Amino acid sequence: MEFKLFDLSIVEYAFFITAVLIILIGLYGALVKKTLIKIVIGLSVLDAGINLLLISVGYVKSGTAPIFSPALIKDMPLTLENIKKLSEGMVDPVPQALVLTAIVIGFGVTAVALSLVIRLYRHHHTLNIDEIKNLKW
Amino acid sequence: MVGTPVLFIAIPLLAAFLIPLLGFVWKESVRILPGLVLLYLLYLAVNLMGQVAHSGTIVEVIAGWAPPWGINLVFSPLTGLLTTLMILMGFIIWIYSYRFKNIDFREAVKYFILLLMMITGSVGIVLTGDIFNQFVFIEITSISAYALTAFYKGRDSAEASFKYLIIGSLSSMFLLLAIVLIYSQLGTLNMADIADKAHLMKPGFKILALIFFITGLGIEAEIFPLNGWTPDAYAQAPGPVGAAFSGIVVKAGVYAMIRVIFTLFDVSGTHQFLIIIGMITLIIAEMAAVKQDRLKRMLAYSSIGQMGLVIVAFGIGTEEGVFAALFLMLNHAIIKSLLFLSGSYLVYNSTEKYIHETDGLAKHLPITSFLFALGAIAIVGMPPFAGFWSKWSILSAAAHSNMILVIVLILSVSIIELVYYFRVVNRIYFFPKQKEVEPKRPTINALIAMSILGILILVIGFYPDSVTGYLHSASQSLLEKGKYIQDVLSTGQLFIQ
Repeated sequence: MEFKLFDLSIVEYAFFITAVLIILIGLYGALVKKTLIKIVIGLSVLDAGINLLLISVGYVKSGTAPIFSPALIKDMPLTLENIKKLSEGMVDPVPQALVLTAIVIGFGVTAVALSLVIRLYRHHHTLNIDEIKNLKW
Repeated sequence: MVGTPVLFIAIPLLAAFLIPLLGFVWKESVRILPGLVLLYLLYLAVNLMGQVAHSGTIVEVIAGWAPPWGINLVFSPLTGLLTTLMILMGFIIWIYSYRFKNIDFREAVKYFILLLMMITGSVGIVLTGDIFNQFVFIEITSISAYALTAFYKGRDSAEASFKYLIIGSLSSMFLLLAIVLIYSQLGTLNMADIADKAHLMKPGFKILALIFFITGLGIEAEIFPLNGWTPDAYAQAPGPVGAAFSGIVVKAGVYAMIRVIFTLFDVSGTHQFLIIIGMITLIIAEMAAVKQDRLKRMLAYSSIGQMGLVIVAFGIGTEEGVFAALFLMLNHAIIKSLLFLSGSYLVYNSTEKYIHETDGLAKHLPITSFLFALGAIAIVGMPPFAGFWSKWSILSAAAHSNMILVIVLILSVSIIELVYYFRVVNRIYFFPKQKEVEPKRPTINALIAMSILGILILVIGFYPDSVTGYLHSASQSLLEKGKYIQDVLSTGQLFIQ
């Protein structure tokens, strides 16, 4: 514990602030930019920001992987109290599982979006959103 | 025991991915398999509905992880009713589109896979008892909906689909944010568990989560500021897909929103908020519908308006109001699907789908025109057709809660609705046919599908008692929050012992 550079709360805040910043950058890209590709990039950035936020919810400072390995358990009997004690230093696995799912979904959405961009480009020969308005935007 | 709720998700997903493989062996199987799957699920749904009416809500635990830890499916009178409705609509849409893309085998494969996926996703949204799982199902539904919107390569469908995708993925991000907020506060994702612990959340976080939820779910439910995608998507997608949007996807979106508002959190003032937002949606959509000169866009705006009315009825919040809202959801699914299915034959060979191109088609397409007129009369709420009873029950629910302004607004909007629907019916029946319009005769299976919907309208219209029993138990099951929590969490306790 000699590397105690930051207070726990500062590290935690750093994660949250970074995540919110990334989300705002993503929102800016998706809502303000006029190029279809940049809009899609904005969506991906937004996705990454939310994933970071989700991960930092389950963050425990200097926590370990949530695995009850034989080395960790040693010869302790697995009573409820022992499990509670062991799991104190572990990060929460649920947000990580959620993020894995969210990454896959984000990947799928980006793939669909890019294929639509290709279709739009073939149809209109432009990527500028202001020139594609057969339908009212 | 004929089966369990998990089959509603497992079987159509499996079938959707088997379709391309079976297509190599026998081409016709691509068309037959979805129908068989949906017919079996319909049988299962009706059976389970009987079981639920007899012995109460079925809670299914997936993979042995009991609630509140694992994912569970809840087949209550409410979710069961919506599931049955969605599967029924899916089956009818399958009958209608059996010969869809008859020549082009590869296109047909894509269409049937996506349609099955969309139905699976919507049913999953309704059945699941876990908010993250619901998010996944919403994504399944919306990704297949984006792809189906962009189905026709010739039209401006890619544009409509891209617009839908941007709004859709932004709002799903908000949904994920809401889930993060709830998880960080309560450490659980199970809906019943969240409802049980909701009072432990800090009020600010609770309201923020609620706002994110409404933003995220409002897009599928076509709530006012979030429905910019709707008219384009409905107009550009193939005809049966428009019917599937209004009959299946929107219903799932409304359900998800209502579940959050009625079960997850009870923040005071949400019901008034629902009434206001529903009223705005209704009025703006109906005003926009009058101005449309294209048939499908008009139907799409009408669909938004009806959803606004559903939200208003839910906002009334009494048992009667919820009953009326569910009744309108049922009627809207049937009637609007009929209008989309028959309407897409009325403008079949036209590229722009203008309303004036339907002039005088009654002589050439007598049955289709008749069914369209039946749908139009039913949806504006003329007695004795199906739409009348739902509108009547909304008005009486509002009257019993002393909401005079709501009644006045609904009635005056109904007049607008009457105007634009009868304008179309008038054109179909009494205008001379335009020379360059070539009417397309509907195929026999399309006629069967539309007739089933027409018969359903008449049955519900003349014998409303045939459905009101189910609707009453469904609305009670939505309002009995404590029973929902107990039903789900007691399954968990059974597992521990």
